Amino acid sequence: MDFQLSSEHLSLKESVASFVKKDHSFDRLRDLRNDPLGYSKEVWKKMAELGWMGLIYPEEYGGLELDFAFVMVLLEEFGRGLLPEPWISNVLLGGNLVLMGGSESQKHEVLPGVVSGDLMITAAYLENDGRYDINFCATSAEQRGDAYFISGKKIFVLDGLSADRFVVTTRTSESVADKDGITLFMVSPQEEGVELTPLKTMDGRNACILELKDVSAPGSNVIGEVGRGYPLLSEAIDQATAGLCAEMVGGMQASIDLTVAYLSERTQFGKPIGTFQTPQHKAADMFIQKELALSSVYYAIASIDEKTDERALAVSIAKAKCSSAYMEITKAAIQLFGGIGFTNEGDIGFFLKRAKVSEILFGDTNYHLDRYTRLSGY
Amino acid sequence: MKVSYSSDEERFREEVRKWFEDNTPPDVKDQTLGGSTLEHGLMFKWHKTLYEKGWIVPEFPKELGGAGLSETEQFIFNYEYSNCGAPRLKTKLVSLGMLAPLLLQHGTKEQQDRFIPDMLSGKTIWCQGFSEPNAGSDLASLNMKAVLEGDHFVLNGQKTWTSMADHADWIFLLVRTDSSGKKQEGISFLLADLKTPGITIRPIEALTDHAPFCEVFFDDVRVPKENLVGKMGEGWKLAGALLQHERLNAFPVGELIYAIETVRKKSEKTIYRGKPLIQDPVFRRKLAALEVDCNSLLYTFFRILSQLKVGSAPGPEASFLKVYGSELYRRVMDLNIEALGPYGQSWYNLEEFDNSIHQATMGWINSTSLTIWGGSSEIQRTVIATQVLKLPRK
Repeated sequence: MDFQLSSEHLSLKESVASFVKKDHSFDRLRDLRNDPLGYSKEVWKKMAELGWMGLIYPEEYGGLELDFAFVMVLLEEFGRGLLPEPWISNVLLGGNLVLMGGSESQKHEVLPGVVSGDLMITAAYLENDGRYDINFCATSAEQRGDAYFISGKKIFVLDGLSADRFVVTTRTSESVADKDGITLFMVSPQEEGVELTPLKTMDGRNACILELKDVSAPGSNVIGEVGRGYPLLSEAIDQATAGLCAEMVGGMQASIDLTVAYLSERTQFGKPIGTFQTPQHKAADMFIQKELALSSVYYAIASIDEKTDERALAVSIAKAKCSSAYMEITKAAIQLFGGIGFTNEGDIGFFLKRAKVSEILFGDTNYHLDRYTRLSGY
Repeated sequence: MKVSYSSDEERFREEVRKWFEDNTPPDVKDQTLGGSTLEHGLMFKWHKTLYEKGWIVPEFPKELGGAGLSETEQFIFNYEYSNCGAPRLKTKLVSLGMLAPLLLQHGTKEQQDRFIPDMLSGKTIWCQGFSEPNAGSDLASLNMKAVLEGDHFVLNGQKTWTSMADHADWIFLLVRTDSSGKKQEGISFLLADLKTPGITIRPIEALTDHAPFCEVFFDDVRVPKENLVGKMGEGWKLAGALLQHERLNAFPVGELIYAIETVRKKSEKTIYRGKPLIQDPVFRRKLAALEVDCNSLLYTFFRILSQLKVGSAPGPEASFLKVYGSELYRRVMDLNIEALGPYGQSWYNLEEFDNSIHQATMGWINSTSLTIWGGSSEIQRTVIATQVLKLPRK
C-alpha cells in the first residue's frame, strides 16, 4: 500500500503549475470561446517541447516512459487552471490505442508525431442510441477485396476538429451491442466519404460529428486484430477516464480555492461572509467531497500503474465519485459567489461548465454506478 | 504507487482474519451495528479473550502489553476485527483508547504503573467525564468545581453523557480549578474512583431502550491530590492531546465496510418480485452509490497510512473522517433497514425473528447518535472551515 508521490512526481507538478500560470489564464479561456478549436496550437507545441505528450510512451518513440502517477500530477495541474489543450484525447485515447494495439509500423508512423505534437489523433466510438456504451457500434466495416468499406456516424468525437487521424470503432461481426466483433480502424479525415460537422461543448472546447460514407480503408489500417477491438478500447478509455478524474480533482481544488478567497474578502452585514456558518459549512462539504474524490483517483491511478485486476472497477468508482463531487462543488461555489458567479466576468463559472462536460465525458455517475454493479457481481 | 499490501502485511492480515474467524463466539459475532453495544457480561468476556491473546491493545509496544504493531498493521487489525462482525469494544474505548496514551505521555510513573495494567486486563473499567449539561459542543464552558483543600480536591457539580458510568470503576474528569481568567485556562484533568462517597450515578435511557450513558453527580467528593494529571490548569491542553490519539481511530472504517457488506448479503438473500432484491434497479443503484462512497473513504485511510509510513503527519484529509464517516454510516443503516421491508419496523422480537433484524433496527436507531457525540457534525464542519480552509472567524 503506497499512495506516496516521489520527488520526481512533485517536480513535474511544479513545472506544470508554473507553465499553466505563465502560458494560460482565464482571459485566454474567454478568448478561446470564439475559436472553433478552443485551444491554441502554439501552446500545444510548447507542451510537446517539454516532453509532456510522450510522458508515458516508450523511449523508442521519443517518449519519457514514466509511470501513470505522472499522468495524475500533470492532469491535476491542467485541471486547476482549466488548460484546454487536448492532451487526454491525443495521448490517452488516440495515441494510446495505437500504442496498445498497433503494429510496429503503425506505431512508428503515429507515435513520434504525437510525441512531437505534430500529429493529432483521437478516437471515435460514441453513436446515437448507444448513450455511453462503448460496445454499442452500428458503424459497419464491410470487406470487399483487400479493403474494408466503413459506413456510419460517430457523435461527440473528442477534439475531433483538429484530428489528423481517427481511431474508429466498426462492427465487423456479431450484433450491434456485442463486445466481440468490434474492429478498430485508423482513418484520415481527408479520405473520400469522410464528413466532419464541428461541435462546441459547454466548456468552449471542440468535438465533432464524424460521418463515414463507404470510406475505404486497407486491412493495414486495422489496429489490433479484426473483431478484437473492444478490450483495447476499454483499456484506453479506462486510462483516459482515470486521467480525466485527476483533471477533475484539480478543478475541484481550484474551485474551492477561489471560493474560500471570495468568502474571506466579500463583506456583508459588516463582516466577511466567510464568518457565517452557512457558507462555512457549505465550504467544508466542498472540501470533504474533493478529498474523497482525490482518494478515489489515487486508487484508480495506482490500479492502472500496478496493472491489477481491479482496474475497471477502480476507474468506475473514481468516475462516479468525481462526477458527482465536481458537480456538487461547482454548484455550491456558484451559489456562494452569488450574482457574480452567474456571470462570464467571474472565473468560477468556467469550472461549473467544465464540471458538466467532465461529468458526461466517458460516462456519467449513473453509467459508472451501473458498470460498478456489473463488475462487482451484483 | 501501489494498491496492494506487502507480503508481510498480507500474511498478518490472513493471520488476524483466521484468528477472529476461529475465536469470535457466536453470541458476540454479528450482534451489533451502528456502534450499539453488547450486553456487558458478554463484552467483559470478549475483552478477556482478547487480553489473553495479547491483542487487547495491539498498537501498544510489547513491553506495555501490546503487540507492537505498525500503523498499517494496526489498521489491518482493526479492519479485520470489524469485518468478522466483532462488536465495538466499549470496555477499552476510553481507557486504552484515550486515557492510557495520555498517561504514557503526561502522567507520572506512579499513575502509569497504578492504572494501565488493570485497563489491559479489564479489571478496571473507565469512563470519561467531559460533557456537562451546559457544556456540550462548547466544552470549555464547563463549570464543575474542584477546590484544593490540603491533600484533596473537593468536587462539586455534574457530568453527563458519561458512557458506561454505571458499569465503570473510575472516571477521568475535566474540572474547573480557576474561574478568574480565560475559560480554557482554569481547567484541570483529574482521575476519580467512582466508589468515593458523594458520587451519584443515574443512567439515562436512550432511544435504544438501553442506558448506554449516565448522569454523574458530585457532592463534596474528595479526590486525592496525586490524581491530578499534568499540572493545574493544563486540562484543556491535555484534553486536546487526548483527542489527538484518535487520529486514525476517529472513525472505524472497518465497521462501515462490515455494515455495507451486511446490506449487500441481505439484499442478495431477500427475494422481491421473484428475484433477489439486489437485482432491483433502484435498490442496486442506491447500494452502488454507497459502496462508491465507502470505498472513497477507505482509500482516504490508505492515503493517511501512506503518509504515516514515511513518517509525515497526515494532511487535512484526516480532518473529515469522523463527520463524513458517521454521516455515511447513517446512510448505510438507512439502506440496511430499507432492505428489510416490513421487518424494518420490528422492535425487540428476539424470539420470533433471526438476530439480523434486531441488529438492523438497533443499528439504525443507534446510528442517529453517531453524528452527535465526539464532536457533532456541525462542530466538525466549523472546524474544517476555520482550521483547514482558514475561513475568517470574525
